[in-house]
Formats: sequence, C-alpha cells, structure tokens
Amino acid sequence: MYTDVNCLLGHWPFRKIRKNTLDDLRAVHRANGISAGYIASLNSVFYNDPFEGDEELHEWIRGTEYKHVLTVNPTLPGWERDIEEGIRRFDIRGVRIYPTYHEYDPNNDDAGRLCEALERHGLPLFVTMRMEDERLDYLLKPKPLDIESLKRFAGTWRNLRVVLLNIRFGELLQMEQQLNELPNLYFDTSGLKDKVFVVEELIQKVPVEKMMYGSLHPLYALKSTYALVDFAEIGPEAKRKIFYENARVLEQRN
Amino acid sequence: MIIDVHTHIWAADYANSTRELLQACERFGISKIYVSGLKSHYPDEAEIAALNADVYRFMKERPDVVEGYVYVNPAHGNAMDVLRRGIEQYGMAGMKLWVATFCDDPRVFPLVEKCIDYNIPILIHSFHKAVGQLEYETTGVHVARLAKRYPQAKLLMAHFGGNCYHGVKAVRDYPNVWLDFSGTMFRRDDVDYAVKQVGVDRIVFGSDMPITYLVNWGQVEEADLTPDEKERIYSRNAIRLFDRTWRIA
Repeated sequence: MYTDVNCLLGHWPFRKIRKNTLDDLRAVHRANGISAGYIASLNSVFYNDPFEGDEELHEWIRGTEYKHVLTVNPTLPGWERDIEEGIRRFDIRGVRIYPTYHEYDPNNDDAGRLCEALERHGLPLFVTMRMEDERLDYLLKPKPLDIESLKRFAGTWRNLRVVLLNIRFGELLQMEQQLNELPNLYFDTSGLKDKVFVVEELIQKVPVEKMMYGSLHPLYALKSTYALVDFAEIGPEAKRKIFYENARVLEQRN
Repeated sequence: MIIDVHTHIWAADYANSTRELLQACERFGISKIYVSGLKSHYPDEAEIAALNADVYRFMKERPDVVEGYVYVNPAHGNAMDVLRRGIEQYGMAGMKLWVATFCDDPRVFPLVEKCIDYNIPILIHSFHKAVGQLEYETTGVHVARLAKRYPQAKLLMAHFGGNCYHGVKAVRDYPNVWLDFSGTMFRRDDVDYAVKQVGVDRIVFGSDMPITYLVNWGQVEEADLTPDEKERIYSRNAIRLFDRTWRIA
C-alpha cells in the first residue's frame, strides 16, 4: 500500500549511481514496506527526444506493479502525440516536467498547452523543483524553480492535480497560502531536509493531506526520507495519509 | 550507540537549539553530541565569547550527553586565548573552524600546533560549491594542505567536503583526516563512495543538528555496510578520534 511518488530509473550522467536497476528499486522499496511507485526515466531528462527514454523505461517496468510517469519537454515539438502514445502503449499515469533543466518558465505558452492537454486526458503533473542540491553539480548548474513563478503557475492551473517534487521546507512555507487554498496542489517528501522535526513543523502550516511520500531514489537515500515520516510524532492516521492515502488522488482519471 | 560529532547551538538561540538537540537525543537514541555555537560568518570577539559560553553552559547542564567544541576565529588577535580558555577552563573536546578564514591560512597554524599539544580534533567546515562559495570557505583541497603540513594533527573534515567527489578525493591520502557527512545532501551513494576511497575507519557520524538529523542517519542505514561497519561509523571511530590518550604515530 505504501507508495513512492518520486522514483526514477536510468542513468544520471554526473556521478556513478550504484542502485539504479528495477531490482534495486524493488529491494529498497520492499525493505521499507513500499509496494507501489510512480517511476520516471532519468534518461529522458537528457535525451534530445525524451520519449526514447520512456520507451526504455517501459521495457523495464511493463507488467510490473509500478506506474509509468512520462517525461515531457513542452518546448520541443511532438509532445502531444507522445502523451497519446504514452497512454496507449505505456498506460502512463502522469507527466513529469523539468523546467529548470529544459530552461523554460512553467507559465509560458508551451507549458500552458501541456497543462490543457493533461486536463483533457485527466493526468496529474509532477513538477521537478530540483534534482540534486544545486551546490553540487559543477558541470550543469540549474537553479531551483523560482517560487514566485511557481505560485503563478499553481494559481493558474487550479483544476490540474500538481505534485511538487523535491521542494524544501522554506519554499513550502512561501507556498503556504497556495497549499492551503488550492485543492489539487500537493508536494512530496524528497526535499524535506532542513529541520530535525520537519514533518511535525510542516503540518502545523499546511494540511497533511497535501504531503505524499516520495524518495527521489536512486539519487537520494530512500531511508532518509522514509525515516522523516516514520519517526515523526504525528499519529498513525497522518502517517497513513503521507505514505499512501494521499497518493490515491493520483489514480483518479478525471 | 550513536555519537553525533557535529551539532550546533544555532544563531545563539540557546533555548530552541538545546531543546531540539536533547529531544533528538531522546527520540533517536543518541548517546552523545559534540556541540559548537555558530552565528555570523565573520563573528567579532564578543560573539565568539558568547557562543562558546553558551556551549559551556550546555555542557554543564547535561554532562551526560554534551561535549563541546571551542569555536575560534583565527583572524582575531585573541584566538589563542579563546582556544586555551575553551580547552583548559571549559573542558571542551575539540576546536571548531568555520568560514572566517581558510583552514590553511597561516594564522591557523599556531592554533593547530596547540591542538596537537592538547591532542584534540579540529572540526573544519569544508564545502566545495558549484554556486555560492563563500570568500574564505574551506574545501577539501585546503584541508589536504593543512593535513600535509601537520601530519600529527587530528583533522575532521565536515560535510564530506560538500561535494563528496571533490572533498573525499582531496584528502584520501592523508590518514590524519577523518570525515563526517553532516548536512543535507543525503545522496544515496556518498557513504559508499567515501568508504571505497578512505575506508570505514576514517568516517564518523555527524548530522549538523539542529539543521537536520535523520537524513544522514538514513544514509548509513541504506549504505552497503555490515553491522560492524555501521557501528564503527556511528560510534567507535569517534571514540577513538576524541581519545586524548591516543596520538597519531
């Protein structure tokens, strides 16, 4: 039942990844009681045609319990048909974007057309705030997604289910109003590092229903984010919500 | 047993920092914490004195769990006096260097020599950054230079040097440099990489509390380590490092 909404398979070009096979993912999930996940392709982030990375991902996970999240760069041509093919061939359950790696503002026309398409298809959108800590990558230096830009985006697409991936505590506090007011805006746990008792502090400010468990495996240690929730003194009901109940909204096809 | 070699009373917020540290010790089963007081990047002498006094106060309140580092700004004329007071009067266990100077600045040398006399570790903030590098922020390269100059000094490079692929490799050939991975990067492969480069016995557990804790604990739990190797990282290596009866040959 426990669900990881933010896991990836593939190659990360900046350093050696030791645990990047499906077997590795399953092993760390099983070790932590996680039985479901939303997986995107790491390769698609960097491929000139992201869809080829998703074809690879499909070969790895088809027939398994994992849900395929398609990577789209809306500034490139042809993504509309990629989504349709992704639905038909891969049974995709969402679309993931990387605005800071692909260098566009999520409020631009391209991203707007993407959001319209996702609303028509009834698919959620996973927005990557950052991948690894921006202080660490010296070859490529993407800045994290600008919060003011994110606020405008979230306010525009109120009916679209949006999950913010790898967003930090301080950034969530800046989004406090949006997280409290917008019914379809969520975030995952992979960015929660900046406080010892971060989960307890966060749910004083934003509804626990907005938090979904996400690990950013294989880049981050899954046990780290798992422990943040598991050790939090928030009661079993709140933990159930974070670990799996909140993610059920992603299963709905509007 | 868990010994956390890298924690703080942060920004002179004594009440909240100490409360969180003690709460974490109780909840997560931490047996001992080593604490330094930090606030400004370039503190004046009064701030240094106040921060160290806070740590001393905490040590006296909870001698069962709290040990202290004396925080020194090597640019200050009274730096040696601060070090002496911290170790001889306050009974602190090590010296902390942050970002006021590079760790291999010549003004640091007399302090290092005194730490060798005391046989105490020096916790050195070390962080190589792709963006936002501070003017005098030490990296693994600076730590390596200091280690080469003072092979008897017990140097503890914090944060794996920031980007572990930069910091760990810089110091891997200097057996007098230990490493903690405190802070907030929590990449899955950092600990495995560091063990491959320097071996498990030079790695000690630190968290950077009250900034974070469980993310670094999770790194150890998920790394490809035997239970014995985890125990060495969690406590035994720190016990040896802070043992003032044990000198580097």
